[in-house]
Amino acid sequence: MTSVETVKKSEAKFEPKIIIFACNWCSYAGLDLAGTSRLSYPPNVKVIRTMCSGRIDASFVLEAFQKGADAVMIAGCHFGDCHYMEGNYRTQRRYSMLKRMLNEFGIEEDRLRLEWISGAEGTKAKEVITEMVEVVRKLGPLVIAEEL
Amino acid sequence: MADNEEPRIGVYVCHCGTNIAGVVDVKAVAEFAKQLPNVALSVDYVFMCSAPGQEMIQNDIKKHNLNRIVVAACSPRMHEPTFQAAILQVGLNQFLFEMANIREHCSWVHPTEPEVATQKSKELVRMAVAKARLLEPIELEDAPVVARVLVIGGGVAGLTAASDAASAGHAVTLVESSPTLGGNAARVGKLAHSEQTGADVAVQLIRKVVSNENIQIFTDSDITEFTGSIGNYTATITTRPRHVSGACTSCDKCVDVCPIEAPNEYEYGLNTRKAIFKPYDGAHPAYYVIDVETCDKCGKCVEVCEVNAIDLKEEAMNVEIKFGTTIVASGFDAYLPYDGEYGFKKSSKVITLNQLERLLDDKGPTNGKLVMNGKTPETVTFISCVGSMEPPSEDRDTVPYCSRMCCSAAFKSMLQIKDKNPDTHIFGLFKDIRTYARRDERMYEEASKEEILFIRWTNESRPTVKTEKDSVAVTVFDAMLQEDLLIPTDLLVLCVGMRPTANADELSEMLKLCKGADGFIQEAHAKLRPVETPTAGILVAGAAQAPRDIIESTTSGSAAASKAIMPLIAGKVKLEALQAIVDEDVCGGCGICEPVCPYGAISYKDRDEGSRLAEVNSSLCIGCGTCVAACPSGALQQRGFTDLQIEAMIQSM
Repeated sequence: MTSVETVKKSEAKFEPKIIIFACNWCSYAGLDLAGTSRLSYPPNVKVIRTMCSGRIDASFVLEAFQKGADAVMIAGCHFGDCHYMEGNYRTQRRYSMLKRMLNEFGIEEDRLRLEWISGAEGTKAKEVITEMVEVVRKLGPLVIAEEL
Repeated sequence: MADNEEPRIGVYVCHCGTNIAGVVDVKAVAEFAKQLPNVALSVDYVFMCSAPGQEMIQNDIKKHNLNRIVVAACSPRMHEPTFQAAILQVGLNQFLFEMANIREHCSWVHPTEPEVATQKSKELVRMAVAKARLLEPIELEDAPVVARVLVIGGGVAGLTAASDAASAGHAVTLVESSPTLGGNAARVGKLAHSEQTGADVAVQLIRKVVSNENIQIFTDSDITEFTGSIGNYTATITTRPRHVSGACTSCDKCVDVCPIEAPNEYEYGLNTRKAIFKPYDGAHPAYYVIDVETCDKCGKCVEVCEVNAIDLKEEAMNVEIKFGTTIVASGFDAYLPYDGEYGFKKSSKVITLNQLERLLDDKGPTNGKLVMNGKTPETVTFISCVGSMEPPSEDRDTVPYCSRMCCSAAFKSMLQIKDKNPDTHIFGLFKDIRTYARRDERMYEEASKEEILFIRWTNESRPTVKTEKDSVAVTVFDAMLQEDLLIPTDLLVLCVGMRPTANADELSEMLKLCKGADGFIQEAHAKLRPVETPTAGILVAGAAQAPRDIIESTTSGSAAASKAIMPLIAGKVKLEALQAIVDEDVCGGCGICEPVCPYGAISYKDRDEGSRLAEVNSSLCIGCGTCVAACPSGALQQRGFTDLQIEAMIQSM
């Protein structure tokens, strides 16, 4: 199957595959704003939208790694800005739990990132994506141990 | 569409003029989509959101018997509702629709990499198709609406809102926390560009509200419990004991005998009042009230009252009401400088702008005469932005925002002083001058003609104030002259801004409202939904939302009233579509989901075999899906965002 990654790989350089889970109200809007503002960032990311970052099941993140993502970003509203009041506090807890789990699995913790991005923070969206792609590019492809 | 019908997906790739097609090879994307599972049709078109674009989808649904639609175009936040309405028009459930965002998330952010952007677009379409295959129709449920509006706050915004909603024929309950209606506006004295005072305006509104039989009024009352959702809210109103009944004739005998004096909050502490008092002329209710904080229940007032209007044993009362919508108009608190801030409380010659407005009011404590300790001040100095326009620091409780009305209020007061005592020397020490409102700039011009001196200072060189027994001296570094100026002054006025009310946190917690970084209540959308909160059926008006003047407060009060009565006129509301649902066969009643829900939408019911089962209240669930992610067994699912749907996207990334 051809993909962004294989197209880029033809240039003999590792191009990470990154999934962003973003909530509808703040972070997805912030990602939209990056586009509306014509800010460029590396094409390695693909966004999956949920209504609230609180919907992002820990198993989604693990599944993304299992299905070939080299990194995952969870994006939600800043504390106090959550459209559903406190969904992002749950997100924060699940993220902390996931960090510990990834450690157990031998997956580098830099492969999972949590970012609060408001609907006005198009620039932040661009910056965190650009930075994450750089970090994961240095880490190289994700290798999951066979027994997992 | 029958549930078991095989998906037949139509994929539409939009050029968006050149916005997408200028970068992405849209024909290649459409071609790619043709070979994806269950795709019956895949085309590209110049503007999918145009009328011909929408008609194309509608015709294809009929002609090709399509039962799922995927549009690869802009953000779903932009045009999802457009396409959903279009497919619904031809009888296809609007939730059998999915968008791939190949504009904001692709062509616009990868303009220099067309090849990669095309590949990414294909993948985004592949993910959208994977989800679309598993979409299920969602039928929107209707819920009835209780025909009553609750208005919280009896200031000018709340009074206007209550009056407008009631004038349209709807029942209104108005709840005010203090002993009288009228709010802060009733105390601002003579208004700018008007012969009226704030109290005149408040009393006019109060009369309208009191004479409208559709309005039920509670003063001295707070909302102590609040539950429900749009169309069907329930609240408990707790009324503190007033200890004086409507039989009171305002004869004043009780005031004469009352031995207790307390600072008069209606005059910002400029004079005192008794423990039994009437807030101000024109207050409503028009009878006395006993302040329980200061009253020692000596009973002297009871003895002299000829109509037996006083009952010192009266207790708090709770009333439960049901209503369809709520308007939060809980107002603001004026910032109170801390002791010693620019000499505040160190000298009686240092007062706030609110206090000055009372001194200049004909009905104020000095009947409008500007007199300090028996003398008319020859020099009056104003310091602007006290507590405002400065990020907070460890030792200063400042706020970074501008309260917008203080500059104009200062100019209004300066001109009033000049009008009363033309020889007064006035200095205005300003951080910035913002007379932004209509006609207000004229006051600035007038003040300049009156030889009022303006000196600019900055946060780096704040004015300093030295207070001695009989004198106040202000030193300010003039940013223009680059020199320190010493101004001995007879009266120093601190222009203070507006802050969220002391109980704002409690109220927003109870009503589950969002607050901005400034602590004021946040609207759903600053431009498109300026008086709505993100919670359906809860509106916001007046200075509860941001610093506001009277004009802006009454305007937003009217706007909120019209929004509040819309569901009442419709008589029914549509419930959230993307709700959580429980698979009864899987749920073990473990109890994890219930505390996760911020809306209290989940409860448990007993099952026959002694176990229990989670239940989602469809009128409370607003579709965040947080409980779904918490459910360990997968029994909870969110409509439109099921585990399987999201996993299908992950698997095809």
